Amino acid sequence: MNLCRRFLMAAGLTLLTAFAQEGHPLVGTWHGTWGTTAATRNDITVVFLYDGKTIGGMVNPGPDSIKLQNATLDAEGWKVHFEGDTKDVQGKSIRLSADGKIENISNVRRTITGSWTQGAVKGDFKITRDN
Amino acid sequence: MRYGPSVAACAAAALVFVFMVSAPAQQTAGPGRGKGKGKSGPAAAAPRNAQGRVIFGPPPGGTGFWGGGGSLLSKGAGGLPTNPTVEEVPFQPWARALYQYRQKEGQKDDPHARCLPPGGPRQFQTPNGFEFIEQPEYKRILIIHGGGPRSWRVIYTDGRALPPNDEDRIPTYFGYSSGHWEGDTLVVESEGYNEKFWFHRGGLPHTDALHLTERFSRPDYDTLKYEVTINDPKAYTRPWNAGFTVPWTYTNWDGTPGGEIQEYLCQDNERDWERLR
Repeated sequence: MNLCRRFLMAAGLTLLTAFAQEGHPLVGTWHGTWGTTAATRNDITVVFLYDGKTIGGMVNPGPDSIKLQNATLDAEGWKVHFEGDTKDVQGKSIRLSADGKIENISNVRRTITGSWTQGAVKGDFKITRDN
Repeated sequence: MRYGPSVAACAAAALVFVFMVSAPAQQTAGPGRGKGKGKSGPAAAAPRNAQGRVIFGPPPGGTGFWGGGGSLLSKGAGGLPTNPTVEEVPFQPWARALYQYRQKEGQKDDPHARCLPPGGPRQFQTPNGFEFIEQPEYKRILIIHGGGPRSWRVIYTDGRALPPNDEDRIPTYFGYSSGHWEGDTLVVESEGYNEKFWFHRGGLPHTDALHLTERFSRPDYDTLKYEVTINDPKAYTRPWNAGFTVPWTYTNWDGTPGGEIQEYLCQDNERDWERLR
């Protein structure tokens, strides 16, 4: 699949999910930052999907997107977990694992705050659901 | 400065009015406000058209409209005796937790309170009532709503199929509706809903997979019976049935005889427009 087609698919996926607001609390596109310290931050986009049984989606839609795996939502406490396979600069596979909690669950601009690990690196993240 | 009793009474009345207009509805609320003052005594038979089929409006030359309906989650007060309790609704875990959260928080994030259109059964629960406008020459029925953003819904009766669930179908507040008559009952299939609204007072969750099968009937002049099958496999573990009745309204907004929907626009009293979504 060429780069253009992958980009268009990711853009279409983002557009489709951007309409969701009051349904499954995770579904939609979320933007924010993650990093290892308060000063070292990177932008992050997470797209969550739900087919009625399984939560799917991706981190940073585009050619280097990370497909979500083992994503779960625990409605007791609104705890979120997701994983994904990433690669380091040498192309070596590294597992990404993130845990967070949805805040202000009934608000369209709800947030998820939490922590993540990627190999030996750890950090935190905060993402806000797009309107 | 001291205010006289008349000013205080006026202020109190204004507060009551503002509360009536803006307060979020409770999950077990009974018939809504629409000045649903029916005539005393037994109700007359439902009016019929020239072909002998029941109609949901007034007879030619008449007036009146439907007030706000009851709850899908109560037995009595407008709710059908066969309705489930909240505990019996087959929620998926996330949907039950979200509903409980919305109840606990007093439904403060209800989109309808921000003047967004009420799709699904909620359209029959809003204050200010609604009317059915049959247009047989166009093979469609309009439902026009006096409350909220003064919106309307189209039910096609030309036998068309619902649009396929693909990228060309744009999710909407009222979905896509195709209906047909089974005797005196209007049966409507709808899907293609967006997720920007609560489909029932109190915040029952739904997703873009929502499919409604609605059955409208008029057992007597003063009563509209609304029955619905809710099929949303992303939010509920199985389809479930419920319904309520809606009273006919003979009066105007101020209680005078007439039965005509007043002009009301939710946005006209909206003071938070900069944050409307």
